Amino acid sequence: MFDYRPGDSPVHLLNPVTKLAVAVGLTVVVFLLPNPWGPALIAVALLGVAAVAGFPGRVAKLAAILTLPFLVAVVLVQGIFYPGNETPLLEVGPVTFWEEGVTYGLLVFFRVLVVVCAVLIMVFSTYPKAMMVAFIDKGLSPKLAYVFMASLQFVPEMQRRARAIIEAQQARGLDLKANLWRRFQALLAMMIPLLAGALISVETRSLALEARGFSRGGMRNHLIEVPDRTTDRVIRWSMAAIVVLVATWRIVL
Amino acid sequence: MSLIEIEELTFSYSTQQHEPALRNLSCSIEQGSFVGITGLAEAGKSTFCRLIAGYIPHFFQGEFSGRVNVAGKDTTETTIGELAEWVGFVFENPFDQLTGASLTVLEEAAFALENMGLAREQIRLRAEKSLTQVGMEDLKDRHPQQLSGGQSQRLALASIIAVQPEVFILDEPTSQLDPLGVEEVFDVISDMHTRGNTLIVVSQDLDHLAIRSDRLMVIDKGEIKWDGEPREVLLEAAEARYPILIPDVLEISRKLRAAGRIPSNPPLPLTVEQAANELSSIDTPGSAETIAAGRTSRHSKVESSKELVFEDVHYDYPTGVSAIRGVSLSLDEGCVCIVGQNGAGKTTFAKHLNGLLRPTRGRVLVRGKDTREYRVAELAREVGLAFQNPDDQLFRSTVEEEVRFGPDNVGAGPEEAKRMVAFAMDLMGLEAVPEKKPHDLGVPERKRVATASVIAMNTPVVVLDEPTGGQDAEGIELLGQLVGQLVQQGKLVVVVTHDVMFAARHADRVIALYQGRVLLDDDPRTVFGREETLARTHVEPPAVTRLGKLLGLEETLLSPEELLAVFAPE
Repeated sequence: MFDYRPGDSPVHLLNPVTKLAVAVGLTVVVFLLPNPWGPALIAVALLGVAAVAGFPGRVAKLAAILTLPFLVAVVLVQGIFYPGNETPLLEVGPVTFWEEGVTYGLLVFFRVLVVVCAVLIMVFSTYPKAMMVAFIDKGLSPKLAYVFMASLQFVPEMQRRARAIIEAQQARGLDLKANLWRRFQALLAMMIPLLAGALISVETRSLALEARGFSRGGMRNHLIEVPDRTTDRVIRWSMAAIVVLVATWRIVL
Repeated sequence: MSLIEIEELTFSYSTQQHEPALRNLSCSIEQGSFVGITGLAEAGKSTFCRLIAGYIPHFFQGEFSGRVNVAGKDTTETTIGELAEWVGFVFENPFDQLTGASLTVLEEAAFALENMGLAREQIRLRAEKSLTQVGMEDLKDRHPQQLSGGQSQRLALASIIAVQPEVFILDEPTSQLDPLGVEEVFDVISDMHTRGNTLIVVSQDLDHLAIRSDRLMVIDKGEIKWDGEPREVLLEAAEARYPILIPDVLEISRKLRAAGRIPSNPPLPLTVEQAANELSSIDTPGSAETIAAGRTSRHSKVESSKELVFEDVHYDYPTGVSAIRGVSLSLDEGCVCIVGQNGAGKTTFAKHLNGLLRPTRGRVLVRGKDTREYRVAELAREVGLAFQNPDDQLFRSTVEEEVRFGPDNVGAGPEEAKRMVAFAMDLMGLEAVPEKKPHDLGVPERKRVATASVIAMNTPVVVLDEPTGGQDAEGIELLGQLVGQLVQQGKLVVVVTHDVMFAARHADRVIALYQGRVLLDDDPRTVFGREETLARTHVEPPAVTRLGKLLGLEETLLSPEELLAVFAPE
């Protein structure tokens, strides 16, 4: 669902560090902006970026799934209970919705929407390995980068093993639908092999990594090249400038 | 000077200080040689490999005396990383040794080269070349987690080949693979040997190993017991009745020589073709039929009851893959072996036997109970199923407690449980280790612990999934006795296996699956007699059966004894 979608759009060609910088920068900006219009505009712009990247539907759909329940909750709650409520907007039976609350609810919603869209665009348009290489190029330790990559595969692998363990234990008569004490035992019967198995495979894996020269010092290189172009630098500096401007506007003026 | 020199080496792991894994071992290995290593479980084979790669003493700690020299370097003074440029290592588990950080096969093959800091173009060229060498160039964009065991193991080989080390060490590279995977990996190994690489390969599979290697070593209790030309070593081991899996063809030829039926000077055969060549020139005074006739009913029949019934069973995985496509049969008694290539539906079939999977169409009856209406825990009183990987289940602190887990779950009384635990441990050769931690045992023993815990449930039906995988000769012998005992008690034993020799020796009935359907279902003699049909599901009849066919014998043979009865009747 959150997998990389291959492509060669301008968004795909950006350096992953640039995409992360923009995502972080936009997050700061939308939390500084005082009313819903700014974040709403940025959200629309981001959908435009998703369209350029070739997956607008996917971003829109996932963003909707992730944020719509939140929209309903935050607008309802803030609309009724926001402390600064003064102007009634709508009365439904005994309940009054206030303009200030609804506006504030929308502000919060659009902020979250911007963050979600920015992250989705980054994830969909960035090959995970390229992300890792880009960060190593910027000075991240290769070991940390490895942990990041390995964690992507760790979860599905653990799920697969957990299923195998449940099956093996059930085949030995373990009852998953029994009293509390039995269930506690069942948990042990699952967790211990899961951990022990993970330790066994870690031993093999760490030896295999050693044998592939993982811990050796000196120069490294990468199969894939992740260029950092002038465009990337321009975008990153512009983003930084925008953040500084907005911050100055909000704090000083 | 030889490429590898080991002098008076003694090593004990810090976890087992009083039991040296290797004792005063000396040997040297020349550049370009292919050394096969075999021996019983826990004999010290892996320790030998780890020493050469420097994993001992740098990764596994313990008491170390003596000297190991690889390409003129003392391994104690060289790091694993530095040695890795000289020594490549392939491990037993095909999946654990992948880096887990690559999204394509090509990236995986390039990993070591990236760490070496080669130029980008050089990385790509060398990684692609090594993938071509193992026949995986078409899979280079595939995700490593979507590979079969054999492909995964070949990828591990490719990523080592890319480094271009002097020596390749492969520690049981095929024990977890299906026959197709075994062939694939051994083909690559042979190819590497012809390219002049130095190879050290540990395996129990002497049918594949002996013919390819130019030197065979048997390690026994930390010492080199035999070391020399493979045929001579096998001959000595066979004459000493040493428990390794001597290829049947060699054993047959040895016995015929002893009986004076063939001259003793030409080299012993190691392949079916060589044996057929040797035997084609001599006459056949005896007949296999007499023996075959006396063997059709191997086990005394108890009253016939339909223990397991499949009625037009279909099973589709949620992903849409149809794993079982219309299987109707009933299993009553004796030992039934299920064979077929990976993906033919064997494991899916086995999981239907105790309700772990329920048919998407049709139904399965376990001793009259429809599996759709019972929980797995309830069906476990009728059917005990032992899975392949022991590490998916062992969790108690002693072997005895672990074996007790099954009987406790199915509500056996304390007396009954105690009796069954003792019985099962005895059958699986665990009577000496009841207080040990299961995880301190080697893989073959761990696997027998898991099997014992299922046996101890005393269920009328026992299902064993790939029980002989990774076992040494003694372990396979124990499993054979186990099956015999259980069948004698009137139980139905279902064995899912790639091991056709085991099936030929112990099965009363063999079912070959192919693409989710029953391809063949008959007594072993009939099934293994149909070589062409079996080839569709990548099952090769036992060596002696193929030998009989090549010699043009009418009767299908299942054991060396039958063949000997034809050529050298008493």
